[in-house]
Amino acid sequence: MTAMTKKAQKDKSATYPLYEKLIKSDPLAELDTVTKERVGQLEWYIMKNCLWQYNSRGWDRRNQNAGIIGKTAQLLCDEEVENSTPLDKCYWVDAVMLNRAYRELYPWISEISKDEIKSLMKILHARMDWVMIDGSLNEELVVQHY
Amino acid sequence: MTCDVKVKDRVGTINPIFTCQPAGAQFASIGVKDCIGLVHGGQGCVMFVRLLISQHLKESFEIASSSLHEDGAVFGACGRVEEGVDVLLSRYPDLKVIPIITTCSTEVIGDDVDGVITKLEEGLLAEKYPDREVHLLAIHTPSFVGSMISGYDVAVRDFVKKFAQKGEPNGKINFITGWVNPGDVKELKHLLAEMQIDATVLFEIENFDSPMMPKGDEVAHGNTTIADLQSTGSASHTVALNRYEGGKAAEFLQKKFKVPATIGPTPIGIRNTDSMLKKLSEITGKPIPESLVRERGLAMDAITDIAHMFLADKKVAIYGAADLVIGLAEFCLDLEMKPVLLLLGDDNSSYVNDPRIKALQENVDYPMEIITNADFWDLEDRIKNHGLELDLILGHSKGRFISIDYDIPMVRVGFPTYDRAGLYRYPVVGYGGATWLAEQMANTLFTDMEHKKNKEWILNVW
Amino acid sequence: MPYHEFDCSKVIPERKQHAVVKGPGEDLTHALPKGYLNTIPGSISERGCAYCGAKHVIGTPMKDVIHLSHGPVGCTYDTWQTKRYISDNENFQLKYTFATDVKEKHIVFGAEKLLKENILEAFKAFPNIKRMTIYQTCATALIGDDIDAIAAEVMEELPGTDIFVCNSPGFAGPSQSGGHHKINIAWVNTKVGTVEPEITSDYVINYVGEYNIQGDQEVMQDYFKRMGIQILSTFTGNGKYDELRGMHRAHLNVLECARSAEYICDELRARYGIPRLDIDGFGFKALGDSLRKVGMFFGIEDRAEAIIAEETARWKPELDWYKERLAGKRVCLWPGGSKLWHWAHAIQEEMGVKVVSVYTKFGHQGDMEKGIARAGEGTLAIDDPNELEGQEALRTLRPDVIFTGKRPGEVAKKMRVPYLNAHAYHNGPYKGFEGWVRFARDIYNAVYSPIYQLSGLDISKDEIATDKGFMTRRMLSDATLPEASRNDPMTGYTGKYDSVSDLRTKTYPVFERKSSSAAAE
Repeated sequence: MTAMTKKAQKDKSATYPLYEKLIKSDPLAELDTVTKERVGQLEWYIMKNCLWQYNSRGWDRRNQNAGIIGKTAQLLCDEEVENSTPLDKCYWVDAVMLNRAYRELYPWISEISKDEIKSLMKILHARMDWVMIDGSLNEELVVQHY
Repeated sequence: MTCDVKVKDRVGTINPIFTCQPAGAQFASIGVKDCIGLVHGGQGCVMFVRLLISQHLKESFEIASSSLHEDGAVFGACGRVEEGVDVLLSRYPDLKVIPIITTCSTEVIGDDVDGVITKLEEGLLAEKYPDREVHLLAIHTPSFVGSMISGYDVAVRDFVKKFAQKGEPNGKINFITGWVNPGDVKELKHLLAEMQIDATVLFEIENFDSPMMPKGDEVAHGNTTIADLQSTGSASHTVALNRYEGGKAAEFLQKKFKVPATIGPTPIGIRNTDSMLKKLSEITGKPIPESLVRERGLAMDAITDIAHMFLADKKVAIYGAADLVIGLAEFCLDLEMKPVLLLLGDDNSSYVNDPRIKALQENVDYPMEIITNADFWDLEDRIKNHGLELDLILGHSKGRFISIDYDIPMVRVGFPTYDRAGLYRYPVVGYGGATWLAEQMANTLFTDMEHKKNKEWILNVW
Repeated sequence: MPYHEFDCSKVIPERKQHAVVKGPGEDLTHALPKGYLNTIPGSISERGCAYCGAKHVIGTPMKDVIHLSHGPVGCTYDTWQTKRYISDNENFQLKYTFATDVKEKHIVFGAEKLLKENILEAFKAFPNIKRMTIYQTCATALIGDDIDAIAAEVMEELPGTDIFVCNSPGFAGPSQSGGHHKINIAWVNTKVGTVEPEITSDYVINYVGEYNIQGDQEVMQDYFKRMGIQILSTFTGNGKYDELRGMHRAHLNVLECARSAEYICDELRARYGIPRLDIDGFGFKALGDSLRKVGMFFGIEDRAEAIIAEETARWKPELDWYKERLAGKRVCLWPGGSKLWHWAHAIQEEMGVKVVSVYTKFGHQGDMEKGIARAGEGTLAIDDPNELEGQEALRTLRPDVIFTGKRPGEVAKKMRVPYLNAHAYHNGPYKGFEGWVRFARDIYNAVYSPIYQLSGLDISKDEIATDKGFMTRRMLSDATLPEASRNDPMTGYTGKYDSVSDLRTKTYPVFERKSSSAAAE
């Protein structure tokens, strides 16, 4: 093992408390086919077109996922989104793009209930946390400083 | 009339004419067959030099780095040399020669590369590669000494030093070309062949200009073999064309193996080519054949169409490697031109004592400046702020913006010449080179005449 | 773990974890190479050094500055004119480079006095320039010269000058990336906030991670200006030193190259609360969405839509013309750090070109995450590639074209794979709507080059047609297309050779400023 990975390992243990593992395993694994497929489509769009989910630290990704997916869920349910800070507004613009894309590309979204949307988006959120943070193989996510 | 030799009067460099020593050592290393240099230092020292060479030759060459990182800078990095040698040998089955080229960082750290080589020979090579022929040599080329030119000189000497052996006299001469192009090597080999002289050419880089083949399996590489290098100790004579690019090797062979050395001339222009052929003839006893008289005649025929009509009195600035600059200046004088500014890009203390420079000082009948340790600002400042007027610039492509911004025509010569197509394929040495140079200069001046509408109608009936 | 083992790297087994093939149905939790680790000595890696990352990539694009490297001349020479970061300041930053020319005696006795003399000489030679950046090199880092102290001394003695010091010697990190980090942090620590900038618009951004390669920045700047957005500073392409000192006053940081500049965005967010918006300037959809998001942030999305509509109407037909002809062509996308992910999806979607391999010379695992996510199944992803692995991959994959650096491009040429320069472009710029079509045009010209077709003919054994005097690209590209396409009067890109210079003399609409209370929101 090289010096760099040794350092990262050390940092890992030293700063693990910085973000706790929230999602222990792939949240899609045990779900039904339809849900898997739908969340898969939503995830596919994000992974092909978006960059907001790649900030370089685990805690940062946690915030990004929560902010953007949270607001997207609200928009998909036609709710008012409050943006009290510039950072909020920044999440919101990415959420608006997702809201539009999802409605355009995935007609099934307009046909399900708001509760179902919320539920799906919650799973998507967990799934994004899993892929980008808790299940990620990126060893830099735990480094302390930028 | 005065010909001043001065040193650049600033301590710093604005727009350098040369890069540093390791580049020269790396250029030497790619001329050897089955050789991959391991540059002990930061990755940039290799990456940029490979890029520079690829810009000039439009080919890629393999050179490795020991990839010095922070821990190595603090604790020493000899281990990385050992690992580098092992990795190279295990992945390149035909590899036989690995020069370890040092850089400023590893010289400052004080890594004992020579010691590492001994350790490797006794350890890794004996244990892991007992049946392979592997030659390791250390080439010390820190960047804070000299320049890429001295780095090349040092490397040539070190290659010769490593391999030269005393054997049965082989009747050949060692022919050290200096830092030249494949086109130059081709021309020089042609002249040797016409003279029927058997020579070991260092370095055999004609194949640097290599084809794109239908199967896609061609690679550009040098062709000087270990046997070639070994045979240098048994030669009858060494001729090093460029004092500063191979002189050290010739002196070494003279000292250690009593192989007589002839240093120079740089065969640029008719007169210097004549001298070189005469010296070769004296050394080997071979006569200069009629075919070369005719070849010389062809060059004469081409050049005399141009010289007194178009080239006479044209003021030239020349920059680059000392041997190249001096050779070009001498040829320009024979062509009735006026080299007014010569820029030698490093601080080699021998320049002031160079008899060719002394000859210029004694005989030039108009003001000429020779600047050592020069940079491009020495040229630009004189043009921009001190009224220097030039008709032509001779030098390599890094100076191109001076030609472009001040609208002064420029013929690209030296290293690197990447902003014109195919220059490496042509000689600047020999009779072929004399013709090529004279015609390039003329055509460049003609283009400029048309561009500036400066009596361009003269060419209507030339 | 679908790690990919190269035959040529079996003897260095640690390499196996640096290459991955994206399997069917796999996501990033299954497949991700290691990244940004120390380089294996002797591997003949593509990587450069941290000095390059700091001085060459990020520092020198600043156009109104004397860039002085403290060390022997080599580092300076090597990073002079070797990247195409142009500027509208007559390319001062391309033409002039400065080195303190450290020699042996300085190594022994120290070079601080030499440095000071150099700084004064440089300012004297260019009396109209009052800004300087000084870069440490391996040599001066090792001898311990205190560049910051000397710079401070000179700034005292020459009021009106300002000097930025970057301590990023070549060995400071596994690759160029270490240098990016160092200069980002040094700039935000020492220079941001030291000038109060003039605000000329209600909508103020820093455009970060953009280096104006062949005019990319000027293309994007044109869009922002058409929207009435003030680019307070560009970090650092076509950028001005004093503008960059005012970065703290922007409302938004628009980030292109996250690899080289996310650090400063993250620090500005932490210190000044300025949000970071990552965008893609490449590809019609990605670029359009990016402009929309920036517009949306400021409540002026309609202005973005107007630009997108105009540009799409002008350029989409030509892009589609190329897409029809490039569909199914296979490419190795082998750049330095971020283009693997800027381009991987957009090229497939908008040009039909299939990416069969991505690599990154100095990127981190984050870059690989983005690249692998955006690339398709079966893509071979390589971290820190080396010479033999590249050749083995090319022989196995047999792509139709390769996007990579100038020197590896020569390797590809020999193997009969046409190449386009991924770092500095062929006939760029490639950002923007028109730029993307220029890129498609270059790919088309490379792939359907009649000369390239001829290079595969072995005249000693293959059939030689004796009835043909020439072939055209169109004859090659349209051979299997429907008749309507073959007869299409469109012939591809109709823009100029130089698509950037005209932007420099353009006039822009003036938008009314909101009253100060409204502007506060």
